[in-house]
This record gives sequence, structure tokens and C-alpha cells, in this order.
Amino acid sequence: MSNVQSSGTAAAEQLSALVDGELAGDEVARACAAWRGDAALRGTWHAYHLIGDVLRSDDLASAPSRDERFLRQLRGRLAQEPTVLAPRAAAVVPAVRLRRRWRAGAAVAAGFVLVAGVLVVTQAPAPEPASRSMAQAPSPVVPVAATTAGPAADTGDAMLVTDGKILRDARLDRYLAAHQRFAGASALGVPSSFLRSATATPPQR
Amino acid sequence: MQLRSLLALTLCGAFGGVVCAAGPAAVEGREVKSWLTRIHEAAGRQSFQGTFVVSGGGVVSSARITHFGEGSNQYERIESLDGQARYVYRHNDLVHTLWPDNRVALVERAQSLTGFPSLLQGGVERIAEFYEVSLQGNERVAGREADVLLVRPRDAHRFGYRLWADKSSGLLLRSDVLNERDEVLETSAFSEVAIGVKPQLDSVKVPTRKLDGYRVVRPEVRNTRLEAEGWAVRQPVPGFREVSCVRRPMESPISNAQEASTDPVLQSIFSDGLTYVSVFIEPYNPARHPRAMRTSVGATQTLMRRQGDWWVTVVGDVPPATLLAFANALERRP
Repeated sequence: MSNVQSSGTAAAEQLSALVDGELAGDEVARACAAWRGDAALRGTWHAYHLIGDVLRSDDLASAPSRDERFLRQLRGRLAQEPTVLAPRAAAVVPAVRLRRRWRAGAAVAAGFVLVAGVLVVTQAPAPEPASRSMAQAPSPVVPVAATTAGPAADTGDAMLVTDGKILRDARLDRYLAAHQRFAGASALGVPSSFLRSATATPPQR
Repeated sequence: MQLRSLLALTLCGAFGGVVCAAGPAAVEGREVKSWLTRIHEAAGRQSFQGTFVVSGGGVVSSARITHFGEGSNQYERIESLDGQARYVYRHNDLVHTLWPDNRVALVERAQSLTGFPSLLQGGVERIAEFYEVSLQGNERVAGREADVLLVRPRDAHRFGYRLWADKSSGLLLRSDVLNERDEVLETSAFSEVAIGVKPQLDSVKVPTRKLDGYRVVRPEVRNTRLEAEGWAVRQPVPGFREVSCVRRPMESPISNAQEASTDPVLQSIFSDGLTYVSVFIEPYNPARHPRAMRTSVGATQTLMRRQGDWWVTVVGDVPPATLLAFANALERRP
């Protein structure tokens, strides 16, 4: 019993250090893991923040219902935002799971953190491959001629795609990457093929 | 900012090329060899560090390149500056590609590199046979004086090039790929470069030893020959010779369980000494090969189509008609 007690106190101390930004590296991870699994700790976490807030300014001493209202409104607004990029499922799952757990627990207690969580979710699509290839041309580009597919080259059965910004076929990317791994050491040492593998598909997790 | 200056650079280059073309000096076969050999050797021997920008087909990408030549050893580090973070570390033919965000490392032996210098040595005479090289005077690139070489194809099977080689070291500072109307398909250039830097090998060696927490992928690549696999090239495209043929897994480095179970793909590589064409052959599978397709991005062309029971993909920096000629030349010999 005393053991549990002391470990609880230790966790609270860790949490206090986390609030003060005094933890580093895996200590942060450990403290967050404890916080995630323990509703009482989440309550403590909010209390610490409330104490800090009140110490800083009396205006921040508000009833939990205010935070809750703010959160509800924020969520409502976020839901109305148009979705620009579809998040990749794999990247979002952990965040969603977290959010649910927070909701189940002391939602208010986790208020501030939840705001951060939601923002992370909306930003998660950044490494989406589609957006990546679209983002390859950040500025107007050097005038470049299009390759002419002469009539002699017309295979009849093939679709011609010439836009560099098309969403590429993942399969095609792999052929390009395989080709480029060889041509990467071209006769004149131009590593341009490496760079052209803007197309090179990053491996999945 | 860098891109804008590159734009200016390219425009100057285009006009500069026109002006210089007034008195082009054709280069003799022997000289072609010495010019190209010089460029090729500089890329291996010199130690340099710079930012390299490629633009073409509406895509601009750049990378930080560090290359150390020390004795017979070559070390290289390439860091992509656009899109997802990616690092390539090369020690001679051993290549590590690292995606720090995904914690995945791809380790490969560039099997084709081993016989490579001899390829150029044997190939330079052939280069003179298929390309006409002329000296177009001097220009400044990335703050350095450069000799400008126009490499014009003697037939319609390949693209032309305009090359800017550093006067003092021979290092290629910029390269344009030109179509049959001398229009620029793609430009690759250093926006800034330091040549003759002191090799700091640890910057290339150390990261490849610290792969804790990385999933390390080592695709199994097996050497073979096209004939041994039951294929023949009926009418070879003039100037191109088969330089390598391998069986390689195509799922790499993507670990999709469904894809991973697919058969290895045959990849045969042809070269005319300056450029490369890859021919991929695999059994046709309607689920994975929905439709024939041709694409063109910058100078790189691709052709994918079904040929009988097989799915053929041809990739290379050559005119589309050349890819078609490669695909048409393939013959199955059961």
C-alpha cells in the first residue's frame, strides 16, 4: 500500500517536473505514459496547471465549465472546416485513440492538452505522399519544353501523361526508383536522377 | 531565392548558348574522349560540396551533395531538401538510403557500378559514334568559370545535352537535356559549390552504422542475363548495349504484405555510354497492371504495356519512340 502511495507521489512529482518543463527525453515519455493511463494523474495535471494559471493571473481562475464550453465550440468549428487533405489512416489512428480516451476520462482536465491534440490531428496529413508530389513545385518553374510524342511514338493503346504534378501511380514510382538506382551513377556523375526521384516512394512504416 | 537565381541563370544560359553557337568548334573523336573522361573522373576523384537543383516537367527539387574522393574510395552524402527527408550515403558501391521520418533504411549494392569505369572507357569511342560534341566557349556557373560543351545526337534515338564543366577541376556544374528542337527538357545545376573541400569521412561513415530503431531493408538482387531468362532482343536500338541484367524484388522498400508476395521483376539495363534505358519484364497480372500508360516527366520517359503474357515497363531519358523500339524489340524464346 505504502509502495503504491510512494509510486503515486513519485508520478505526481514527475508530472510537476513535466509541467515545469524540467524533464528530458524518455522521462517525458514515461511521465506522459503514466498520465495517459491514470485518471487521477490527469486530474492532478489539470490542478497543477490551474495553480500555475492562477499564480500568473486571476483572470485565468475560471470554472472548468468554461474550458469545456471553449472546447466544444472549438470542436464544432473544426468540424465545419473544409477538409483540404485527407489524413493518412495509419498516421492518425494513435491520435484518435488518444482523443477517445481523453474524452472518456476527465475531458475537462485534459482540456489544454486536448486542444494541442486536435491541432496535431489536423496537421497530420503533411507527410502524405500526394501532397508531397504536389508540393514539389513551390514556385514558377524554369521554362521547360514538353517532350513531343511524335506520331511514330504513338502506341495507340497508351495514355500519355506529361504533367509533372500529376498524382503518380505508386507502381510507376517503383520502376523509376529502380531505374534511378542504376542511373544514379551516370557516366558524367550527374546525380540528377536521384533528385528526379522526387518520385521515389518513401517506404511505409 | 535560390530558385529565382537559378531561373535567371537558366535564361542567361539559353541566350548565352545562342550567342556562343555562332562559332562552335567541333571536337575530334580523341578529344571527345578526353573531355568526357575528364568530367567522369572529376565526379569520382574530386571532393566537393554543394547544392544541386534539378528542374524539369514542372518539378523543381534540390539536394545538398557532399562527395569525397580519397584514393580509390568514394564517399557520398546526398540530402534531399524538398518533400520528405531522405538521405543517401554511398561508399563505393554500397548505398544506404535513410528515411528518418519512417525510420526505414534501404541497403543496396549498386551491382552495376562495379564494372562501370570500364564501361565509359570502352564506351567513349561509341559515344563519338552516336553523339557530336562541340565546344561552345565559356560561361560562369555557380560562381565558377566553365567550358560549355554541346553534345548533339547523330540520330533520333537519344536526347542531346549541353554540359558545363568546371575549368579547373572538370567537375560538371550544370547539365541540360535537349530535345530534337534543342529545347530544354530538364536542367540540373549546382546553385553553389565548393570544390576541393577537405574530406570528413565520418560524416558519411557514421550515420550508416547508427541504424538503431530503423527497419533495415536489404532487397535481394540477383545477376542474370536476358537470354538466360528466355528473352531476346530482335532488333537492338542502335548504339545501346546491355550493361546489366538483374532479378529484383519490386515491392522494396514498401512493405505491403500483398505486394511483397509478388514475383521478382527482371530488369535489363541498356546504355549508349551517356544515357540509360531500363527494361522491366514481369508476368502479366490484370489486378496489378490495369492499363497501358506513357508518362513524361522532365527528361524521363516511361512506357508500360502488356505484351502477351507479360507486362513490360521501359524507363529512360530518351525520346518516347526509343522506348517503343525497345519494347517492340523484345522477343520471348520459350
